[in-house]
Amino acid sequence: MNRHLVGWMALFILLFWFGPALAEDSVCIQCHGGLEGRLGQPVAEWKQSIHEENGITCHSCHGGDPTDFAMAMEPERGFVGVPGNEEIPAFCGRCHVGVREDYEESAHGMALASGGPQCVVCHGNHQVVKASIDLINPESCSRCHSYDRAEKVKEIISETEARLQSLESSVASLHRVGIDVKALGGELFSTRNAFRQLFHTVNVDKLQQQKSAFDADLDGIGEQVSAIEEELAQRKLIGGIIVVLLILAGCVALLIRKTYRREEESGN
Amino acid sequence: MKPQKIVMDWLDSRLGVSELLHQQLGGYKLPRNINIWYTLGAVIMALFGLQFLTGILLLVYYVPDTEKAFASVTAIMNEVPFGWLFRYLHVVCSNLIIVALLLHMLSVLYMGSYKRPRELTWVSGFTLLNLGLAFCLTGYLLPWSQLSFWATTVATDAAGAIPIVGEYLVSYMRGGPSVGAATLGRFFALHVLVLPLALMGLAGFHLFCVRRNGISQAPFGKDYRPRKPSAEFVHEEHHDGIPFYPNYTSKELAVIFFALAVLVFITFYAPWLFIPADALEPADPFSTPEHIKPEWYFLWAYQTLKIFPSKLLGLGVQVAAMTFIALLPFIDRGLERRPGKRPLFLTCYLLGLLIFVGISFWGHYS
Repeated sequence: MNRHLVGWMALFILLFWFGPALAEDSVCIQCHGGLEGRLGQPVAEWKQSIHEENGITCHSCHGGDPTDFAMAMEPERGFVGVPGNEEIPAFCGRCHVGVREDYEESAHGMALASGGPQCVVCHGNHQVVKASIDLINPESCSRCHSYDRAEKVKEIISETEARLQSLESSVASLHRVGIDVKALGGELFSTRNAFRQLFHTVNVDKLQQQKSAFDADLDGIGEQVSAIEEELAQRKLIGGIIVVLLILAGCVALLIRKTYRREEESGN
Repeated sequence: MKPQKIVMDWLDSRLGVSELLHQQLGGYKLPRNINIWYTLGAVIMALFGLQFLTGILLLVYYVPDTEKAFASVTAIMNEVPFGWLFRYLHVVCSNLIIVALLLHMLSVLYMGSYKRPRELTWVSGFTLLNLGLAFCLTGYLLPWSQLSFWATTVATDAAGAIPIVGEYLVSYMRGGPSVGAATLGRFFALHVLVLPLALMGLAGFHLFCVRRNGISQAPFGKDYRPRKPSAEFVHEEHHDGIPFYPNYTSKELAVIFFALAVLVFITFYAPWLFIPADALEPADPFSTPEHIKPEWYFLWAYQTLKIFPSKLLGLGVQVAAMTFIALLPFIDRGLERRPGKRPLFLTCYLLGLLIFVGISFWGHYS
């Protein structure tokens, strides 16, 4: 019992002291944030990234000890440093597991050993932003090969991707008005991840075969969203009717008051 | 004879109910130049009544436990039949009550109705306004959202600026060094029991003062003359006035209906006005949200603490301003109540209002 208590207290103290430090005051940021050029640039770029937005900080990828200046970059504290070109898919794939699997099976992944593109070629590194379909574009893809195949991939996924984004926006709006979207949001998040994982295969045939399954999933989510939106619209209609009735009741009370005022004036 | 009449006659012969009703309703005369601002008291009472009702319904499902509070509020909003309606009405109504209380106070100030012999009415009314704010502060924590947690942390932290006892006060309010389960327990008990009891007692005293002194005549019109104060108690009679019931109550009812229309409109169409995005996430003591701001009615206090070089000075200015307003009837002892004949008062009134609004906007956009 006591051992458990001490354990919990230690965890609490660790979280209490180091939690905020990890988010903002890690020694990585304190030191590199003040540097200029190549060594300081990653901090400025990371601050504009989706990783920063989601609390993924330096040591989440590079390891090391973010609380100790002396030991921050010691391999014995898990410091990884900058991965080599061929190590990048495994480096990012520690978190983005599904994407890594599909990438490795893709033409891109199979060409890795012979200098093929890895994650940061398309997504960037420290300034990685929320992935969007716009990452597939003639300028980017034509750096390595013709745009034809990429264009086909983009064509196949465009409609589903647009629906995903529209549903994400609808779910966020529902959340904003107090609807519990935990299950719905989770379902959408999982579908989106599986879909984006799939198009890392850059395999046109596979995409065409599997796209309909994703569309069916999105149909189901869309129906749930529509049902909630319909209920909200009904609420507004009822609310509008109540507002009109209350205003009418107020006007009637004012008219009654007017009749009494006439009596008061005639009484003079 | 109808059974209804038999019961009424029976009661009347023993308690004199008819006479009492006549005294308090039809026979209770109000000044002829009574205006719409006098209806705010009735509006506030109606809104508080609604708060009691929706509060009791929320209380049935709310769980005052840091592990369960947010989930229980989510369940109220999504699973309990019409739970969303009761919660939104409760949230929006609390804001409208503060608006109505402020308007009531401002109208009383403008018409000089706080002056002798109504000092106690003013002091009890001003305390009621502060009680309303205390209701809001304690209720804010209950959903145990990110906003609840951090806004309460910031609000209770302000007391720490007081020398010597500051830290003890913060710890006492929170029930510990930081906002946690003990704070939620305290705020819950205050919100659902202590404050409602205090409100009922104080509102009763306020109404007693209003009724005992009689309604003050509005200081407008060519016939108005300031009354000379009497050393003895005098009830302000309006023999040629208008009956409270049904003549004036019909106007009060109209304004109550219009206030309810505003309440229902915001509840159904824009409840998010009073529910920022951070209020939709569960409390996380390890993640401070950016730009945490208090509710609009505390923005002036929040910004005052930031303007001055030290928190203590800011807190001192707030306490001085509130004490000055509370004790105004004992400071401003002149007989004149017509705003046009009180240039110094009118200047201070408008300046004070501008400062309040200006600092609140500054706090919002800072």
